[in-house]
Amino acid sequence: MAVLEVHNLKKIFIPRFGGNQVQALKDVSFSVEEGEYVAIMGESGAGKTTLLNILAALDKPTSGEVLLEGKNIVNLKEKEISAFRRNHLGFVFQDFNLLDTFSLKDNIFLPLVLSGKGYAEMNSRMQPIAKKLGITELLEKYPYEVSGGQKQRAAVARALITNPQLVLADEPTGALDSKATDGLLRLFNEINEDGQTILMVTHSVKAASHAKRVLFIKDGEVFHQIYRANASEEEMYQKISDTLTVIATGGEHNA
Amino acid sequence: MRRFFYAKLAWSNIRKNARMYIPYMLTFAGTVMMYEIMQALSMNKSMLTVSGGASAQMVMNLGSWVIAIFAVVFLFYTNSFLIKRRKKEFGLFNILGMEKRHLAKMVLWESIYSYVGSMAAGLLGGILLSRLAYLAVERILQINIFMKYEMPPKAIWATIPLFGIIALINLANTLFQIRLSKPVELLKGSEVGEKEPKTKWILTLIGVICLGIGYYLAATVENPVTALMLFFVAVILVIVGTYALFTAGSIAILKMMRRSKKFYYKPNHFISVSGMMYRMKQNAAGLASICVLSTGVLILISSTICLYLGTEDTIRIQNPRNIAVSVQDADENSRDAVQKMVHSMLEKHAVEAKEELSYFSDTYVLKQEEGRLTAFPNQSQVNYDQASVIQCIMLKDYNRLAGTEEQLEPGQVLLYGTGDEIGEDSIQIADTVYRIKEHLKSFPIPQGMEEAITNTYYLVMPNQEAVEQMAAQLLQSEPDSGIQSEWVYYYGVDLTAESDVQIEMTKELRAAFDASGIEGAVHGAAISRSSTTSTFGGFLFLGIFLGILFLMGTVLIIYYKQISEGYDDRERYQIMQKVGMSRREVRKSIRSQVLTVFYMPLVMAGIHILFAFNMIKKILNMFGLFNIQLFILCTAGTIVLFAILYCLVYAVTAKAYYKIIS
Repeated sequence: MAVLEVHNLKKIFIPRFGGNQVQALKDVSFSVEEGEYVAIMGESGAGKTTLLNILAALDKPTSGEVLLEGKNIVNLKEKEISAFRRNHLGFVFQDFNLLDTFSLKDNIFLPLVLSGKGYAEMNSRMQPIAKKLGITELLEKYPYEVSGGQKQRAAVARALITNPQLVLADEPTGALDSKATDGLLRLFNEINEDGQTILMVTHSVKAASHAKRVLFIKDGEVFHQIYRANASEEEMYQKISDTLTVIATGGEHNA
Repeated sequence: MRRFFYAKLAWSNIRKNARMYIPYMLTFAGTVMMYEIMQALSMNKSMLTVSGGASAQMVMNLGSWVIAIFAVVFLFYTNSFLIKRRKKEFGLFNILGMEKRHLAKMVLWESIYSYVGSMAAGLLGGILLSRLAYLAVERILQINIFMKYEMPPKAIWATIPLFGIIALINLANTLFQIRLSKPVELLKGSEVGEKEPKTKWILTLIGVICLGIGYYLAATVENPVTALMLFFVAVILVIVGTYALFTAGSIAILKMMRRSKKFYYKPNHFISVSGMMYRMKQNAAGLASICVLSTGVLILISSTICLYLGTEDTIRIQNPRNIAVSVQDADENSRDAVQKMVHSMLEKHAVEAKEELSYFSDTYVLKQEEGRLTAFPNQSQVNYDQASVIQCIMLKDYNRLAGTEEQLEPGQVLLYGTGDEIGEDSIQIADTVYRIKEHLKSFPIPQGMEEAITNTYYLVMPNQEAVEQMAAQLLQSEPDSGIQSEWVYYYGVDLTAESDVQIEMTKELRAAFDASGIEGAVHGAAISRSSTTSTFGGFLFLGIFLGILFLMGTVLIIYYKQISEGYDDRERYQIMQKVGMSRREVRKSIRSQVLTVFYMPLVMAGIHILFAFNMIKKILNMFGLFNIQLFILCTAGTIVLFAILYCLVYAVTAKAYYKIIS
């Protein structure tokens, strides 16, 4: 069953002071099945971020629809959006987006507190996640006291604690060193194996090579996609690199 | 060309940072202007020709000192804020290849521009506005003669170096900050200091204790003399307490809130407690300053306005009659002579007298202990907390003034007191117990200043001998006190004459009195009116002037606070939206925090005023103002006006704030 369905998404930015209109997304359609781990790749300016913002209900498309478990999130009212976002989606960002005013524990609790959950329930939900992510010892620390990789693991914990249908990750390894990157990607694989659906936007080949499927976006359209099937990470890495070379040198449209 | 590179860079820096630089320069110019005007007023020669002008000028002189101190502290504070905000910029320049000495050159140019610019604006503004200030002084002091408008060069020469030094201090601080820091730190400049604040229990405790003692002193002080002496102690205690509580106390309370999991993990509390903690850490000192300054403005303006409006009351208390003579060591001969003198004066000017007041009295300052009055061992060492004033009046004078026909047996007295109740049926003075025949409900002699300042009792005694006998006994019990009976004769009348005639008469009477060789003094309400008006007018002018200055300071701190919070909040605001708060929720939460932070100093200032009320009231008593209703009215009026102004400032600065975060 498809967790996410995207149909004919189109986004045009109209500059506030006149000037040329910019078409960020031309016509994007794809779907994500439950338990999938999909990476979306593309160069800067390809429309990745716009796409992610629309999927996160942070922005509205010019036309097209986004169905999350069959519900069109494009038509949600402003009031419902935030509650929807916090109950159905989990976010992992490049720059972590942890609040400095909260300890890691409180950062992880944030979405649940906003939903009005009690402390006992929050705590019992957090413990297994924190253990899995290896941050149990760090919970009382503040974001500025821990490393980038640790911050990102706290952010992952925050994304997972609501049991979201879909975790959206925006360049999650962008600000991490290689060791922390490896750790995080392994973690993503693990939670995916536990059944968590993940959609990751990245332009790191290494990050994408961990996914089960890679979509390539170019000039606002889905240009190509690669399934992992039984390929190893190295083979996947090679395939992605080849595809990127083809895109960069202006290959044919064959999605 | 290259020579002017840094000059140009500095100029464009100022322009790019206009949002922060312009308020700084405006404040600088404003302070320059006020200092210059105050200096000019305190040097104006024509003011000395007015009666009371000298004391008004002394007040102005004091005022320029206050402005100078304020200027140093305040401009330093503002500049530190500017540096903190600009550290990132300096770091960027540093990384782009500018050495620290180049940065220094650039900063030097910036300082030159801002100093010259704001100095010129301030001096010019001062010259222009000094005319307005002169007019205001004329109106407030009710000076009728034409004051010469002038801006003495001396005032300008006093202003330039003072503010030059301030600019140099600020420059030195900037250079020091640049020198101290590494480029990476410079780049992160405004982002450090986001660590969670520690709870400082000791500081909190100090704050509570200081504030408590300060409040206690202010609220319980009874004696005006003590009030005046303790005023500055209380002020300092409250200032220390305010700073300590804003910085440490607020954090302690917030942490306590956080410790309660049930309370803390609720959507509203969760966001606002942590947000407030962060805000208080960043702004506590600024908020405490706003609170202290606001309190200062409120007290200054309300009390000076009250004094000024109550001038007539004060004059009447100091001068129960328009023209009066008091004779020391008086007897019936001097009484007759003085009456004759006054009457011939009235005839000469063809002025009618009303409300004649004529009586002998004999006054003692005694130590009051549990219903017993004794002489102080040494009359020059009087403890005003224990002192009571006993004014003895003869029965015949009382009966004449009150229009009664009371009779007193030996050892019997009539008592009228303005202070605490004393003795039910009897009163003991030295070793004699006097029976109180009656506690009088009113007294025909108007109460003056001293009566209101200390516990005063009017004792109506059967005759002169009874009083003198009492004096002898007091002396006997404290031989070193040197206490003895000394009758003072007071003779005063109200006049139906214009003020200038009254002044003329007072002067003539004074001359006649001096010529007669009788020891005593002539009091003229008209003369003291002009000097009282000058003094109180001087206070009022200073109060308003300093009030404006402090207000300017308050506005600037508020503005900078909003700006800095705006930059800090923007990021938090965005994160919270991404994590699942709606735009409206975030806006609501931030708004409530901003409002709390904003109105906290005002509320605190209000509480300060509430506690200060008693103390200020007593101090006003010292100046002869006893109209409590007037004081309440002035205080309430000032608070309301100030609150309106404060909200207005909020509305304007909030715009700047929301512009930044959206």
